[in-house]
Amino acid sequence: MTEKTITLTVNGEPFTLNVPVNRTLLEVIREDLGMTGTKEGCGDGNCGACTVLLDGQPVNSCLVLAVEAEGKEVITVEGLAGEDCLHPLQQAFIDEGAVQCGFCTPGMLLAAKGLLDNNPSPTDFEIRQAIAGNLCRCTGYTRIVKAIKKAASLLAQQ
Amino acid sequence: MKELAVVGRSVARKDAVEKVTGSALFGDDYRHPGQLYGRFYRSPLPHALIRNVDVSKALKVPGVRGVVLGSDVPYYFGPFIKDQTFLALEKVRYVGEPIVGVAAASLEAAEEAVQCIKVDFEPLPPVLDVLAAAQPGAPLVHENWSKYEITGLARPIANTNICDLFTLRKGDIETGWREADVIVENDFYVPMIQHATIETHVATAQVDTNGQITVWSPTQSPFYLRQELAYALGLPMSNIRIICTRVGGGFGSKHEMKAEALAVSLALKVKGRPVCVRFNRQEEFSGSVVRGPAYIRVKTGAKRDGTLVAQHVVIHWDTGAYSTYGPRVNYNAGFSAAGPYSIPNIKIDGYCVCTNKPIGSAYRGFGVPEISFATESLLDELAGELNMDPLELRLRNALVEGSIAATGERLFSVGVKPALEAVAKEIGWQGPVAGAKRRGNSLQSVPATQQGSKGEEGYPVMGGKVRGRGVACFCKLTGTPSQSSVVIRLNEDGTFTILQSGIEMGQGIETVIPQIVAEELGISLEKIKLSPVDTAYSPYEKSTTSSRCTMHVGNAALAAVKELKEQLCILAAGAWGMDVASIQIVDGKITASGDLTKSIAIDRLAESGILKNKPPVVGHGSYATADIWDSPDPETRQSSRSTVYWMYGAQAAEVEVDLDTGQVEVLKIVAAHDVGRAINPDACRQQVEGAVMMGLGNAMMEEMILQQGVVVNNNLTDFKVPTAMDCDFPVQVFLVETMHPEGPFGAKGIGEPGLCPTAPAIGNAVYAALGKHVRDLPITGEKVLKIIGKL
Repeated sequence: MTEKTITLTVNGEPFTLNVPVNRTLLEVIREDLGMTGTKEGCGDGNCGACTVLLDGQPVNSCLVLAVEAEGKEVITVEGLAGEDCLHPLQQAFIDEGAVQCGFCTPGMLLAAKGLLDNNPSPTDFEIRQAIAGNLCRCTGYTRIVKAIKKAASLLAQQ
Repeated sequence: MKELAVVGRSVARKDAVEKVTGSALFGDDYRHPGQLYGRFYRSPLPHALIRNVDVSKALKVPGVRGVVLGSDVPYYFGPFIKDQTFLALEKVRYVGEPIVGVAAASLEAAEEAVQCIKVDFEPLPPVLDVLAAAQPGAPLVHENWSKYEITGLARPIANTNICDLFTLRKGDIETGWREADVIVENDFYVPMIQHATIETHVATAQVDTNGQITVWSPTQSPFYLRQELAYALGLPMSNIRIICTRVGGGFGSKHEMKAEALAVSLALKVKGRPVCVRFNRQEEFSGSVVRGPAYIRVKTGAKRDGTLVAQHVVIHWDTGAYSTYGPRVNYNAGFSAAGPYSIPNIKIDGYCVCTNKPIGSAYRGFGVPEISFATESLLDELAGELNMDPLELRLRNALVEGSIAATGERLFSVGVKPALEAVAKEIGWQGPVAGAKRRGNSLQSVPATQQGSKGEEGYPVMGGKVRGRGVACFCKLTGTPSQSSVVIRLNEDGTFTILQSGIEMGQGIETVIPQIVAEELGISLEKIKLSPVDTAYSPYEKSTTSSRCTMHVGNAALAAVKELKEQLCILAAGAWGMDVASIQIVDGKITASGDLTKSIAIDRLAESGILKNKPPVVGHGSYATADIWDSPDPETRQSSRSTVYWMYGAQAAEVEVDLDTGQVEVLKIVAAHDVGRAINPDACRQQVEGAVMMGLGNAMMEEMILQQGVVVNNNLTDFKVPTAMDCDFPVQVFLVETMHPEGPFGAKGIGEPGLCPTAPAIGNAVYAALGKHVRDLPITGEKVLKIIGKL
């Protein structure tokens, strides 16, 4: 497979690497960069577990070719927390009991961040729409919606 | 009762931080030096003889390090009947059955090699209809049950596809029918569905030069996995090490051996190299495990006043190609098939039948959600015939303290009636609508001006929407006998480390066990950490199934605390120069009788100096239920104690049905569950909330569609599971505490129960709205239009 050199920023850190042109962004994040917080649930864009932010927009990283991320900025779950404190979304997920098995959680958090960065005070319905592509089998979603709502108000206070 | 400090409080989960930061390591998150990737050639046919396998081209693909055939690993396994081999041997029995494995330096190379494999098949007639498969003379999926080793609780019938027959007999069913004033009977069907965990099955295996096998797996049951591997390979258990990763959803699917057998098959071929096998989503649907479909016929008789007198249930479980946990599904559901009611005459016949379909196995509730859908739906039809409020019918017959169960045992810790009363109150149950036979609890319909002519059942047949409310309840046993063990180490700085092997898969065991230990020791929760589970050093645990860990591991933890306290008393006695008999531990303090100056807080053991240079403090605790268990008679299942505890609960649903489209919208669900004691109330509520939404999926949308044994909707778009948009309605949860005398602080279990009554509650609400039942799940718009005569 033809390879191409790409440069991208992941969680603020610049990387330059050679990748086969058919390699997905998900594979680069997990296999080449060793950041396993981003999960693969289906590989075909149906479950949302691999959601990351690409230039601020939530994407299924299994459906994005790594070469498409050339020159772009990627945020993964590893890039959410600050030096010594959790991101308000992370704290709210804990406080509201929005985490069970935790496998969908990284993708959920990034989908939520994508929403709140563009819409700081979403309605419940807007939150549900924003995470409609992120499947969770454990929680029944309502606590996730509450957590995102709570994070929105925490962020507004900051 | 003494006020509790930690038990009964909704403390935050101990595993949450690593899960929100992405540092939690799941099955596919480990990378090992020299790791290879395994892929498998899987059967394209449901039933066929394997004539020839040609791997010559595959071996030449660059990067390939090993190829494994069925004949290389002819090892049989299975929990009850050892009818399955690591890879198919002479024949294949389902589409997706692994036949050849390839290990390669990259996933791409392994996949390319699999594409090069050629297998010649001789197709056999596929066995796809479970009812036909159960008949004598049907083509056989397994030719000869007696050829297999039967190690567990299974009763296969020779020369048939029936791998297990379950019977339960109480009273005399014919007498029951004679005494009944009203008898109703109907057939129900639940389709094949899947757990659809977001993490698929995955395992990494390594075989070192000494023959030591190490497996990294998100298994629910590491010791069961170790037992299966050791038995199949003929190795001592001590040669096998299972290292547990985080589990990305279990719900029963990660209880039995799946990816592990495949990873080990390849690891045996490429000795020394770790091999990772991860199922893709398509393989997950066809080649892992499913909740098998079931046909359920229910016949129930009652007196005119609503007193239940007889129930006969016949179940045909379509358990797919291999028996695996089918017999256990048959068993658990059989014990619940009479519902949580006092019925004098009961007859249950369960047939667990093999077909050429994906493997049916454990799924949250072990058959009880399926059986409850059928029996609880029929009960509302009986209420209709009796012109009686379905809630009143349930309350009249519900089990209470001291009732005699279907097994003949006298019951205690029975919370079904309080659960029914709680959901009825919360949903605003108003009793039957007067004069409308079978309208049951229909709440309201469209204004009369919009109604067309009324049908036989009294529902509007033209336009508009109608609402209904339904209620359902259930009982479920926990697997008995079973065993747990716990070790608690006191560290030199006064902190504690718990070693236990209940697997955290979202249900909260890693939070609940420290709560129990903190309470019993009288220390703060922050001083307790849990070790990861690894069979090389973690103590034995039967399994993380059957809603059993809070109760069983909890009791073992209490026993470990007791031993630990005894050792602390000895150390304190030595330090104080006193007789150990005068030392006691009360409210988190070591004190001496008659000497108020002597006191050490357990929270400050390190500072006390009593540990220095003394024997390290290690508490061991075990718990098993074999002694209290009275093995049920294999024909009648009569027993003085069939299980260590029964779980009960009830749910009520309110729905709105669109009479033009047939679409059913769930407006509200109220759930009340008897948990014995809630160690962590919020964690209990989380279990129920999640289970209710899983039950919503079971009731309204989930169905695996097969054509000639091929799963055609094998992705998460075509196999519909609830999304956040589907779950936009209130779910209220009430916890009923019946304080089980043998549970830790009175606790029972809550992992599975939340799912059991959801589908029938929704179904009964639809029935209340329409006067007719959809008797086969899922309840789709198309089916609704059919029953109201619009399609």
